[in-house]
Amino acid sequence: MNLLEVKNLNTSFHIGVGTVQAVRGISFHVEQGESVGIVGESGSGKSVTMLSVTGLLPDYAEVRADAITFDGRDITRLNRKQLRAFHGSEIGMIFQDPMTSLNPLFTVENQLTEPLKIHRGMDKKSARARALELLKLVEIPNPEARLKQYPHELSGGLRQRVMIAMAIACAPKMIIADEPTTALDVTIQAQILELLQSLKRDSNASIIMITHDMGVIASMCTRILVMYGGTICEQGDVREIFYGAKHPYTWGLLNSIPKVHQARGEKLAPIMGTPPDMLQPPAGCPFSPRCRYCMPVCRTYMPPVTQLSGTHRVACHLMHPNAPRIGRED
Amino acid sequence: MSQPLIEVKSLKMYFPVGNNLFGRRKQLKAVDGVSFDLYPGETFGLVGESGCGKTTIGRAIVRLYKPTEGQIIYRGTDIAPLDEKAVQPYRQKMQMIFQDPYASLNPRMTVSSIIAEPMKLQQVPQAEIDARVAELIGQVGLKKDHMNRYPHEFSGGQRQRIGIARALAMQPEFVVCDEPISALDVSIQAQVINMLEELQQQMGMTYLFISHDLSMVRHISHRVGVMYLGNMVELAEVEELYSNMQHPYTQALMSAVPIADPDLAAQTKRIVLQGDVPQPIDPPPGCPFASRCRYCKPVCREVKPELRQIGKEHFVACHL
Repeated sequence: MNLLEVKNLNTSFHIGVGTVQAVRGISFHVEQGESVGIVGESGSGKSVTMLSVTGLLPDYAEVRADAITFDGRDITRLNRKQLRAFHGSEIGMIFQDPMTSLNPLFTVENQLTEPLKIHRGMDKKSARARALELLKLVEIPNPEARLKQYPHELSGGLRQRVMIAMAIACAPKMIIADEPTTALDVTIQAQILELLQSLKRDSNASIIMITHDMGVIASMCTRILVMYGGTICEQGDVREIFYGAKHPYTWGLLNSIPKVHQARGEKLAPIMGTPPDMLQPPAGCPFSPRCRYCMPVCRTYMPPVTQLSGTHRVACHLMHPNAPRIGRED
Repeated sequence: MSQPLIEVKSLKMYFPVGNNLFGRRKQLKAVDGVSFDLYPGETFGLVGESGCGKTTIGRAIVRLYKPTEGQIIYRGTDIAPLDEKAVQPYRQKMQMIFQDPYASLNPRMTVSSIIAEPMKLQQVPQAEIDARVAELIGQVGLKKDHMNRYPHEFSGGQRQRIGIARALAMQPEFVVCDEPISALDVSIQAQVINMLEELQQQMGMTYLFISHDLSMVRHISHRVGVMYLGNMVELAEVEELYSNMQHPYTQALMSAVPIADPDLAAQTKRIVLQGDVPQPIDPPPGCPFASRCRYCKPVCREVKPELRQIGKEHFVACHL
């Protein structure tokens, strides 16, 4: 069953000099118990997509969608109060930087018991007991002492564990993790990824993992959405993306990271140029100015979505029967 | 191999932190006795987690810090004890590329004045400066009409190119690249790495490439040193290190890197280290890694292992 279904989402920001079209007509779904990865560069709209879904954007943002349904309910119709009840209890969020997303003025206990008191109506004592349980669940050593500490007394890895404990406090059906390990060292990143996976196994919650690290995606996710210029340019299951990608941007992403067995001295294959300016996104395919295989049609028309399998979808004019047959270069 | 360009000998860099009750100053041992050589034209990769002292080493070598102890021998001269004035001529030959291209460029200077600044400081004639700036702009893949713009008008990748042009202005022999790509998007990272490699081939510079991105370090480096808590724990040629790593920390670090290949990732068993990196303030005696090591023996907690040679150009500091 689809836990989350988003249809034709458009998000724009009205700023002084014009309108930034951060997300342009994307549709996707997340099934119960699935882990979906969203990859893309900065400014591709991956974070804005999830913030739109959760309604966490500022007032100058305009979110339009045909429908955003979560667990059968259309959440675009919820008012502020209903949205508040919905956050935290049904969707948990983990942000990139645990230092700025934890409140420096409150202890871990304060912050961890707050959602329990609000959403679950727990009293102080039982909320504290549950908070202790949560800290054990996220494998924080010496949890009793940690409860009394402030965020600045914790290391980056511990802070991110507290964030995760907050996100899962009310047993949400879905966890959105926005670059959860980008600010952490690799050995700590490995710990956090391991933790997220074991939590997911135990709770059967869905995870949406937003990242730019293809390595994190490969080990964590079952399905991948690749975003570029506010659109989803390709989506499919992990193997379809890593071994059978069809979109030139996905090729570019995969080719620009050094391969495990790549010999020294071999050139990396970067994507030339820079990401599009979303104030004036190019007409047609957003990737066309950087695409090696760009055809005249790419500059004028947005490519239609071609369905290649039950899960694999690509938005590229190269999929047209009359287009040249081009495969991924290594 | 030829004569080393720079020899670093038991370099120590301590920072005083606070006073304790009896007035004895505590010391943060950012770098605690590290030795290695840098050969002309090579890229030496320095990897490790945050706080392991890799940036401090880079900064100490170009003498942004005055080392607490140890020698930095540059072409036969020990530059570690030199004062500010005496070290000036060496600074020209040693440049640095910084991590954050937003913070390392003065927002009030135009691109051409940023690139020209090191030459102005060395009193290069103006006509020569102008020609050189134009040449550098081309070398790093920027356009002529970019010259009179300000840093905020550029993307992260382009700013990093400006930083690189500035570092190359005095035709250095040695460049410290301190996490030059970690603030950039993946597709842009590859552009900058390719450019650094091309420039090295053209100009024969030596790089000290500091990074926590192990796959990039493998791609760009000839030799790699692995650091942990201010100490060099393993040092080897790149293929040797990645195929035959000996130190338990190196093994854990390598296995923690997520592999961008789902089939391979499924086969690989991760070694997940417990706990965090300890504080380098008054560290305990013995091996710095002992508190997190799977194979820790009693001796590891008492005696600090020395870096010893175990193969051709392969050094490990471990009791095992």
